[in-house]
Amino acid sequence: MNLNGLKYVLGETGRNLVSNSWMSLASVSTVAISMFVLSFFLVVTTNVNHVTAVLQSQVEMRVFVNPKATRSQEYALLKEARHWPNVRKMDFFTKSQAANNLKKEFPNQRGLVQLMAKSNPLFDGYDVFTYHPKDIPLLAKRFKQQSIVRTVVYEGQVVKRLTKLSTILKWVGWGVEVLLGLATLFIIVNTIRLAVFARRREVQVMKLVGATDWFIRWPFVLEGLVLGVLGALLADGAVDAGYRWLAQAAGTALPFWPLASLQAVMHEVWLFTLIGGFFVGGLASLVALRRFLRV
Amino acid sequence: MIRLDKVSKRYPNGHYGLVDASLTIRRGEFVFVVGPSGAGKSSLIRLLYREDFATEGEVYVDQFKLSSLRRGQVARLRRQLGVVFQDVKLLPNRNVYHNVAFAMEVVGASSRDIHKRVPQVLELVGLSRRRENFPDQLSGGEQQRVGIARALVNNPIYVIADEPTGNLDPETSRDIMKLFVEINRRGATVIMATHAKDIVNQMQRRVVAIEQGRVSRDDARGVYGYES
Repeated sequence: MNLNGLKYVLGETGRNLVSNSWMSLASVSTVAISMFVLSFFLVVTTNVNHVTAVLQSQVEMRVFVNPKATRSQEYALLKEARHWPNVRKMDFFTKSQAANNLKKEFPNQRGLVQLMAKSNPLFDGYDVFTYHPKDIPLLAKRFKQQSIVRTVVYEGQVVKRLTKLSTILKWVGWGVEVLLGLATLFIIVNTIRLAVFARRREVQVMKLVGATDWFIRWPFVLEGLVLGVLGALLADGAVDAGYRWLAQAAGTALPFWPLASLQAVMHEVWLFTLIGGFFVGGLASLVALRRFLRV
Repeated sequence: MIRLDKVSKRYPNGHYGLVDASLTIRRGEFVFVVGPSGAGKSSLIRLLYREDFATEGEVYVDQFKLSSLRRGQVARLRRQLGVVFQDVKLLPNRNVYHNVAFAMEVVGASSRDIHKRVPQVLELVGLSRRRENFPDQLSGGEQQRVGIARALVNNPIYVIADEPTGNLDPETSRDIMKLFVEINRRGATVIMATHAKDIVNQMQRRVVAIEQGRVSRDDARGVYGYES
């Protein structure tokens, strides 16, 4: 297609969009709503994944030592266990270090700080990291068998449940999205059908003077793509603004809640909504043209 | 050359538009296709620009065998044809100039060629002064001239007209017919389905008569031969 052809196709696309403005608006809104719902599930899934990752990156397993154990016993276990096959990293902490950490984490809890100053109820222990989360239960069992170990705590159950929740959310999200996608498809197909109908005389003349099939189709295909992408961009804008507000509100109300960053969330949202909008718009055009523009 | 070889056209309702029609039209000819209403003239015309398919037999337009054309080739075939209709099919939202230029734009002609060619054909059809007018500001005859200009603008080898004077008064019809004669004189082959008895009789050109779908007469210098 030469420059003149391109100019013609772009001009016709713009003309279709404007002269069919109400249907265009309906299509863009439907795509936007559909993409917003998709984004909602993406935001929730991203956050669940983020919480899971945070929990996993924090201490995978904490091993507390019996208060009667001597420091040399503690170091002996550290030296030995560091070489166990599933142990990636293992750090020792004393009970006073544990108390200091607690004070740092909860600086506003005055009662706690005072209590720590009087007598420290905590234990010496180890932070243990594994190569694979699935190794944790077996490793915990091995630590428990050591005579100086009092107790072992790990987040395995929570992580497992969160991973499951994330998977369920992902599938529910895609299920809802497929239904909304079909509705969106239907609306765009109708918009393009109206555009084809409004331009039926032009199309007829184009066919008669020897315009190629694709030259006739391009303005309508572009129209579908523009509708899809515009809807996606609208949804992206709403999600961006909404998430900024949510992050601010959550920062005040739930300061300890590990919310995923705006960039991480929007990266997913941009990617999926733009691909989704492009795909729905393009597919709708092709369906409409196949049915209503036999050139 | 256009050749119909034992062509039949049967519509889905069982009605035949053409039956076993054979015909050869050489380049440069001026051919009237005549016959009563519903005889099959328009069926023949539609087969030529591949708006319809023959259900039996074969239609050839130069190197194109129309029954086995791929979609891309249909566009190439149509670029060799200029088609004129009784109802003209002008675009109401474009002025005369742009109605004609449209036919060049959509086949990918350059702006330079469009600016050069469109005024030439408007001059030929006598509408240079009406180039800025929109179709609803033109008379029936003028609208048909725009339709002819649009059919001519891509320099077709064949000009196919389906009752181009059907909606026009006798005087205007004669003017339009003079235009087709001029187009033919400049080298284009003209094939025209018509009911214009007086003009056909007066012009003494080749006449192909169709009755009930069959070619009933093919005279080199014929007359209309029916009561219109």
